[in-house]
Order: sequence, then structure tokens, then C-alpha cells
Amino acid sequence: MRWAVALVWLLTAPAADDDGPLAQLRRPGAPPRETPAETPVVVDPTSVPPPSPFLRYEMAPVPDRWRLVDALGVRDEPWNPYRQSTIKGDRPIFDDYFFNFSAILDTVYEPRSFPVPVGLQSTGRPGDNDAFGRTPSNVLSTNLIVSAALIKGDTAYMPPHFELRLTPVFNRNRVEVEEPRLLYADPSRGTTRTDQFTGLQDAFVDFHIRNVSDRFDFDSVRVGIQPFTSDFRGFLFQDNQLGLRLFGTRANNLWQYNIAWFRRLEKDTNSGLNDAWHEPRRDDVFALNVYRQDLPVLGFTTQATVLYNRNREGREGYYYDKNGFLQRPAPVGFERPRDYDVVYGGLNGDGHFGRMNLTGSAYYAHGRNRFSPFTDEKTDIRAYFAAAEPSIDFDWLRLRLSGAYASGDRDPYDRRETGFDAIFENPQFAGADTSYWIRQAIPLIGGGGLALSGRNGLLASLRTSKEQGQSNFNNPGLVLVGGGADVDLLPELRFSVNANRLWFANTKVLDALRMQEGIDRSIGWDLSAALTYRPFLTQNVVLRLSGAVLLPGRGFKELFDAADGDKRYYSVLTNLVLTY
Amino acid sequence: MRRLALLVAVATGLAGAAGAQEALSVTEVGQILAQAASEAEARGRPATVAVVDRVGNVLGVYRMDGANQADPGFSTLGVAADPTLRTVTVPSNPKGSDTGFNGVAFIPDTLAAIAKAVTGAFLSSQGNAFSTRTASQIVQDHFNPGEANTPSGPLYGVQFSQLPCSDLSRRLSDGTVGPKRSPLGLSADPGGLPLYKNGVLVGGVGAIADGSYGLDANIFDRDQDVDELIAIAGAAGFDAPTSIRADRITVDGKLLRFADAGRGSLVRDPANPRALAAIAGSVLAVPGYFSGTLQAGQVFLSAGSGIVRDDATFGTAAAVLLDQTGAPRFAPQAGTDLTTAEVRAILRHALTVAGTARAQIRNPLGSSAQVTISVVDGTGRVLGLVRTLDAPVFGTDVSLQKARSAAFLSSTQAASFIRIADGARTLAIEPSLLPYLTQAQALLGAGAFADGVAMSARAIGNLGRSTFPDGIGGTPSGPLSRSASEATPFSTGLQLDLVFLDIASHVLFVRGNAAADVATQCTRLPAPLGTRVLANGLQVFPGGVPIFRGQTLVGGVGVSGDGIDQDDMVAFLGLHRAAIELGTGIANAPAARRADQLTPRGTRLRYVSCPVAAFLGSRSSNVCAGL
Repeated sequence: MRWAVALVWLLTAPAADDDGPLAQLRRPGAPPRETPAETPVVVDPTSVPPPSPFLRYEMAPVPDRWRLVDALGVRDEPWNPYRQSTIKGDRPIFDDYFFNFSAILDTVYEPRSFPVPVGLQSTGRPGDNDAFGRTPSNVLSTNLIVSAALIKGDTAYMPPHFELRLTPVFNRNRVEVEEPRLLYADPSRGTTRTDQFTGLQDAFVDFHIRNVSDRFDFDSVRVGIQPFTSDFRGFLFQDNQLGLRLFGTRANNLWQYNIAWFRRLEKDTNSGLNDAWHEPRRDDVFALNVYRQDLPVLGFTTQATVLYNRNREGREGYYYDKNGFLQRPAPVGFERPRDYDVVYGGLNGDGHFGRMNLTGSAYYAHGRNRFSPFTDEKTDIRAYFAAAEPSIDFDWLRLRLSGAYASGDRDPYDRRETGFDAIFENPQFAGADTSYWIRQAIPLIGGGGLALSGRNGLLASLRTSKEQGQSNFNNPGLVLVGGGADVDLLPELRFSVNANRLWFANTKVLDALRMQEGIDRSIGWDLSAALTYRPFLTQNVVLRLSGAVLLPGRGFKELFDAADGDKRYYSVLTNLVLTY
Repeated sequence: MRRLALLVAVATGLAGAAGAQEALSVTEVGQILAQAASEAEARGRPATVAVVDRVGNVLGVYRMDGANQADPGFSTLGVAADPTLRTVTVPSNPKGSDTGFNGVAFIPDTLAAIAKAVTGAFLSSQGNAFSTRTASQIVQDHFNPGEANTPSGPLYGVQFSQLPCSDLSRRLSDGTVGPKRSPLGLSADPGGLPLYKNGVLVGGVGAIADGSYGLDANIFDRDQDVDELIAIAGAAGFDAPTSIRADRITVDGKLLRFADAGRGSLVRDPANPRALAAIAGSVLAVPGYFSGTLQAGQVFLSAGSGIVRDDATFGTAAAVLLDQTGAPRFAPQAGTDLTTAEVRAILRHALTVAGTARAQIRNPLGSSAQVTISVVDGTGRVLGLVRTLDAPVFGTDVSLQKARSAAFLSSTQAASFIRIADGARTLAIEPSLLPYLTQAQALLGAGAFADGVAMSARAIGNLGRSTFPDGIGGTPSGPLSRSASEATPFSTGLQLDLVFLDIASHVLFVRGNAAADVATQCTRLPAPLGTRVLANGLQVFPGGVPIFRGQTLVGGVGVSGDGIDQDDMVAFLGLHRAAIELGTGIANAPAARRADQLTPRGTRLRYVSCPVAAFLGSRSSNVCAGL
């Protein structure tokens, strides 16, 4: 296969000219590089003569190579990340132990609108005679992410022997909405909520077991709260979770593998951060994956994975979130606490074929739900998902196409659940959080305490929430077709646009939950644009402004309305990230 | 295409409701009793079983020897134990002290069986099959029961309808016409099921063997309830179609419960029952309900059922009530403040709204709402009542309760009338009504129920729940409710206390301890024009609004039979559309007078709540906005 592709490349590649292969490397569309004319070497008789190979020199032992620069007068400047800094790991704190510290201040101000229910027991204003309330709301959320790591080993040319990392995140959030009972189950608590929470996003020890080749292929084990992603774009499971992970590489990093077990931590309701002070959820994820670089072609990595999600929350009784809403089991159908077992088989890829970049994912979910919310019996889970995003670059312009299909449940009252749901999705896809649909959670008003889709989620999975709810395979699925562009207007300024058309795959579940016949599949158009400004061309200061609008299609209009008559929904993100 | 499907659905609905001439025969009544009794015998759990038709005529009551409990009597009233009676006990209040019917132990088990059978028949229709277990799920403090922080069941309070004192509900002495009263109101005790024959609702069966007339407080487990198993055996061969059972119907996304067990849990094959004569027990006369001889049921929408189709009066498919002479009951008529034309227009527009409304509790999807609509004047006299063809029968009485409740509690005389009723108390067991007024004044101000605030049934419900705001634990009860620790579905508060003596004295009559049955009007509230203002009792769940002419209260309209949001919409929008057509000045309450202007303890009351996706074949929601 590789051979065949290489042959195609050879046949289609332009003939090499006399300047050698390097001269071919240029930005597409740019004129050929001009080679400066060779100038004859002139020997300067006043210059210092070259050193003699046998000259004697004085030797002075120093503790390590990092302190050499002391002698040159380079001082440690801890608060300047671009200078020599001990707290940035530029030199060891003792022996070959390094300390690395970073801090990120990430502030989001997010005016948005989404379908909002009028409180069942109480309303914001007199004359609220209907089910749909006023849609505007806004969020101001600040995360202070502090990360500290102790690392043993010179990271410059070999993997560290040991790493201990702690990343607490301090969050403060404030939400304002127009209707009571949206933020709190108790309608008398009003329409503004201010909350804060300290989450633990990393807390792990990484131990380098051994090197297995001269090229530092290795086996390592990592224990504790650690980041993990099941695929390149976070479609199935991307989270920082408590786990035990064995990972490593082979054949000069051509092969990579992960064998992992995660016991999922409870999430804080309002910040979405890990609640490490709470008993972990009765939910385990076992993951096994293998990455192979340059398969099928050079520059493309293929990954195969199997994940097993074992949920035993049927035994925990009723779990309410911080705001008083029932999270588990979902208040839907028979509302009985349930366990489930799902095995996901996946094939993922990321890289490029010639000039075309491509990322793709395909998953099949096979499992068993102990109690279907609709039949109160054991049901089989059989669902699938596929997504691809090809793109191509033209100098400062990247053009993208996105497509995704998540199967929907065909009949909630049968013995097979065919709606695809992830474990904990965090999709970097189709515009990601710039997109309205992916960014905003939309409550399924009149259909129970469910979200039609979760925050920072692609799937219309009908969970109580992405963060605290159980996976739900009785869902309408999703079809997405979209396109977009990233435009580097200036080196400091990137402009992105996305247009996604969305449908449900099958609305039978929605029909049943709403007692509403024949809800149309069309969700609508999701149009978005974003400006990313990096004034210093670094990640230390990033300012992002994005706006999205959902133009509802027929199905969405059949589901939702708004008290303020605005039939379009918007999402604006103002995001300032300051990094040390 | 969608519209065509709608027409087909409506047409088939009409055929199912009007075309089918099905009723239980005497033989079938005996068969149902024998099936139930055989299962009870096989389990060694003697039962009392009742069978009723769709309008509540009791067709048979069978008590097995030793069923339930020996009668303890009622010493508070000097009522001695009666060895010929078998009785049931209402469970004690698990939260605190017993009030209302909690802990009451002198109720004949025949009445419990009848109430359960009536509930199975009355809550069901051609589009929905509900059981007493369904009732249990929708009348408790939370929906679902046991789920904290959620509002109460949508039909909170419906158990105190079809009361034995109701002026609307018919009695045995009225012949076969219905809707009949139920001795204890509707039941939430599992073991009452609807009966279907060839897919047509023909009645209900109720069984009780455990001596406990309770409810299912924990719906998240699966019970093996002996009452329910016996009723399932009785209903075998008359089973509700799967597609319309409660467990195929969602309310706010939650499936309703039908039964926790199935045919597979029976210990005896119901297709092969023992003969009734071979089982130790007897068919038993029940005063006020059953002669002692098995009866055949009435065909629904035949004159004998007391409900007939009448498309002429409103120019659209509709059903009206008849008395035993065949004369119409509640044909549109003028009251002191409403003309016949106004009453007819309100009923007609409400019918039209119902006919296009998306049903919440009916299958197949795409069905329209089926309801009963009542219009009363400002004193609670009935000015008109009409039903859609397949409306569940319970809504007949309930719609009138809602209309009267909205009209009464919107009146400036409500507080003084309650004081009068309180002053008319004579027995120590009669609860005082004054605490409700005191609590209302504390919450709403000194003018509570005297200042003419327009109270919808929904607003009354907000004030009548065991917590305020509804469903939020740790808060004090609503002013019209018993305290949070006392309130249960057997002791709701003002609603029950207004009629407590009526129900209790009726039970004493059936027992043989009182010579006369309860009067045909409930409560001791005044009767300004000959009809007591709440002559069939107070209702505390949504679906009724007062009618105003300018700033003057002139009546009320009440709707019952589908989801509570649908009931609200049919009443509110029906009145609104009639007002526009008539141009005579009648209308919904002026916005500034409505209960949703009040924000007691920071929690605004609600006036009405119209449903999501309100109409079939239309995308419109928020259809009541700005009205």
C-alpha cells in the first residue's frame, strides 16, 4: 500500500531541478526561491588564526552543564518564561530533578441564547402563560490553572525517568438567565448564580519503566489524574481522569500503545472540573489502543482502539447535582437506576495524503443496558459513529470540510438501542466551541430534565448533562455536513468561519418523549466565525472573539419556541488566555 | 401528507369512540370476578373484587370469605364493630401525625374495590389505558414520587373527585346513567385496571386483598402487589391494548406506570378459572352502589350510559350528558351574568381548541386532546357542560370542580364563605377550615381570597401543595395545604377538609350506621342561588380559569381529560377566542388582576401554562403569550 502511494507520488511529483530537492520546498503558490549568487571567499589577514588542535586549555569542574551559564553572567529570572528560569525547568533544583511551573488565566465571557423553559412552579414575570421563556443569558467564567511538575531526567534527548505533576484549577463562574428554575431546582433562588470551585485536573506520578531500544523507545506507567484522549479529535473519551496507564513506543516511535484503566471522577456541576473530594463515580473505562505512524502513507497516523465502559451507577440510588437537579438516573422514561456495559471498537486516523489533510474516526458501540428507560428490560446497544474532516492549505488559507454521522435510535420501545453516545466527548471538530451546536447545551423542554445536546459536545445524546449524566443510547443521533476556512490575515491574527448543516438521524425518541408526532429531522444551520489574536505571536497572550448563530430548521422549530419571539439563537465567546 | 394523516387519525379515533358497540355482559362480569377470585384463592389471599362499566355503574361485587380485615368500628363516633363487614385501612402518614383519611380503618372493603374499579375505568379511554398505579404516580408530592426537588404530580388532588356527595355524579338510584360517583373518590392503590373488549374500553376491575388502601410511594422498585396480581387475573382477556397503556405514554419525558407485574406472575391460569360458586365467598349488595345481582354494562355513548353524542348543539362532534329520562343535563343556559350564547360560544371554542390540540396522554401520536369542558356562573351553578367523544370520564366531574374552584376562589366572598362553612361544623371530627385562611393571609396579605385576585386552578394548586414552592423540600407548605409533615394524598388540606364529613358520613351510610346517604351537594359552603359554590368539591390541579366581564367576575370555565397544560390551554384559549368572537365584554381575567401578579416569598404564582408544540400539524408554541 505504501509502495503504491509512493509510486503515485513519484509519478505526479514535479521533476527535480538542478538546485536539488531542497529548492522544491516552498509555500504553495510562492515564487521559486532566489539563490544568492556565490561570492568568492576572501581571506582576511587581520582575523584571529584558527585554534590549533593540540592547544592546552584550563579545565574547571562545574556541578552540571546548566550552571555553565552562571559564569557567563546569565541570571535566573523566575518570572520571565523566556529567560533562564529554575521554576520553568531550565535547570535542576537538585541532582537531575527539575521543577516546572506554569499558570494560565483563562477568562470567558459568553453571552448566548438558547431555548429556555418557563419554570413549572414559578415564572420570572407575570403573563408568562407558556412553556418557553426568554432566551438570553450570559456566563462569566474564569479559570486559574496552576500546574507544577517535578521531573527527573534531562528531557532534552531522552524521556524523563520520573514525573510528578499537580494541576489544580481555581474556577469562579457567574451565570445570569431570565427565567427561574433554570439555574436552581428551587425557583425562589432566582436567576443569577455565582459559584466557585477548585478542581484537580492533573495529579499523577509518571514512572519510566525502561527503555527498549537505542532510540529511547520506552515503557512507562502513569498513575493518578491524567489527561487521556481516545482518538485524535476527542469524539469518544477525552478527559482528565483518575487512572492507571501503561504506555510506550516501539520501532523508533513508529508504534505507540496505551493500556489504561480509568475510574471516572465526579465533575463539579457548575465548573465542569474534577471533584477530587467526592467519591469517584461507579464508572470505569478500560482502554487499549495502538498508533502506527505512516500508515497507509508517510505523514498519516492510524490508530485502532478498543474501549470498554462499565457503568454500575444503578446501585448508587439517586444522584442530584449541586443545583438540586437529578442527574442519575436521568428523569426520563421509567427513571430507574441502571447499569450498562458498552464496548467501543474504533479506527481513527490523522495526517495528510499529499497536500490533503485528513482526520477521521469511526466507532461501533456494542453493549448491554440493564434497564432501558423505555422498556424497563434489558436491551442491546448497537450504535455507530463516523466522522471525517479533510482540509487543504493554500498559503495563508486553510479550507475544511466536515462530516459526521451518529446513528439514532429507531424505536425506543424495542429491545435494541441504536443511538450512539460517547463516554465523555470533547470534539475538536467542525469549528469546535466556535460552533453554536457544539458549544451550547440545549434543554429538551417538555421532554424531561434532559439536554438535547451537551455543552462542548457534538452528539444529540439526551443525557442529563455531559459531565454528570450517564450515557444514553436512546437518542436521535446526528448528521453534520459542514465546511469552513481558517484565514491567517496577519501572523498575529487568524480568522475562521464555519457553516454546518445539522440533522437528527432519527427522531422517534423525540416523538416519544414529547408525545409529538413526526418531528422533522432538520436541526438547522449553524454559522460561526472567530477571530484569534496573538499580539506577541506566542501563546502567552491569546484573545479570541467568536460568534455563532443557529438558524433553526423545521425539526428544531417543532421542538422549541421563545418568549421573546427570537427564533434565532446565538453564542458569543470572548476569551482571553494569559499564560505564564 | 401530515394533515392527511391527522384526518385519518381523527377519523379512526371517532370510529373507535362512537362506532364500537361494546359492553360487558353479565356472563363476562361473572368471568372477570371468577378469574380474579381464582387467583386470590390460589394465593390464599381472599379478595374483594368489583367490576364497573365505563361510566361507573357497578356490575358486580364479590367478596371472598375472610377477605381483608375484621371491622374495628369507629369508637370516636360511637360506631361499633360490625361482624358482617370486612374493612380496609388507609395507611398512616409516614411523615408525621395522621390527619384526613390517614389511619382510618372503618372503610368497607367493597368501597375500596369499587373505587379502584372506577378509577381504572374513569382514567382510561380509547387513547390511554391508566390504572390505579398510574393514579398513584401522578397524585403525590413529587413527579415522579421520590424524586426530590421536582414539582408535584400533575393530577395532585384528583383523588378527591367523583365524590359521593357530588351534584354532578349519578347514584344507583339514578338508574344506569353516568358518570357515577365513587365512594372514596379515585384510588391510588394498585389493583385497579381498565377493561377492554375488542379494543374498546368497557369498564374497570378493582381488587383488594391486603387490607390496605394505600398508594405506591416508591415507584422505582417493582412490586408484586397482591391486589394488582388479582386484578390482572380478572382483566385477563380484557386487557388494555399495549400501544395505549400508560407505559407507552410520557409526561414531561417520564413514562407512566401501568402495572408492576404481568400475566407471567400469576399463579393460576386466568383462562381456566374456578367457578365462582366453587369459591368461598359471595356476590354482595353494596348500599348506594350495587343491588347484589350481576349487571351488564352500558354501551358507552348510548342513552343508557348517560353520555350521548350530540353534534348539533355546537356544530361539531361532541358528547353531552343525559339524565335517566333521556333529558339533557347541562345544556347551555344563561346564568345571572352570562347569556346562553356566551356559554355556548365558550364551550364551542374550547371544543375547537381541544380538537386541534396535541394530546399529551394519548396514543397514537398525533391524536387530539379529549376533554370535558364545564362553564359555571359566579356562584358555581352549571351553565353548560360538553365532552369530546372519547374524553376520559373522570374529567366530567373534575372539569366542573375546576370551573367552580376558579370562580369561587376568585370571588371577593371566598374568605367569608369559608368562615361560614367553618362555623357550620358540628362534629369534633370535622377539621377547622380557619387555619387555611390564616395561612393564606400570612402569605398573600390580609385580603387573601377577599380581594378579587383572579385565581386559576393552577394558582390554587401552587397554594395547595405540601411545599411552597411546589416540590422544594424544606419549605413550609402552601397555605391551602396541610402542613408539610401532615399532607399526604389522603389528607390534602382545604380540599379534603371541605368534604371530609361528607365522605365520612357516606361511608357510615354504606356501613349501615346512618340512615340517610350524604346530600347531593358537597361542603357546607353557602349556596347563593340554590347550588353550593363547590357542590362537587374543590379541585387543586390546573385546567380552570375565572370568566370576567370587565372587572367583574361572572363565572368560571374548567377543563379536564388530557395533560394539565392542555387542560389549561383549552380553558384559557377557548375563553379568549370566544371573547373575541362575541365582543360582549366577557374575557379572561384582566392581566393586572391575575394571580401571576403575586410573588409570595419571592415565588411568583402561575396563572396558566400552555403546552409545548400546542397544536397538531403546526409548529406553534407559546400560543397563549400576551393573552
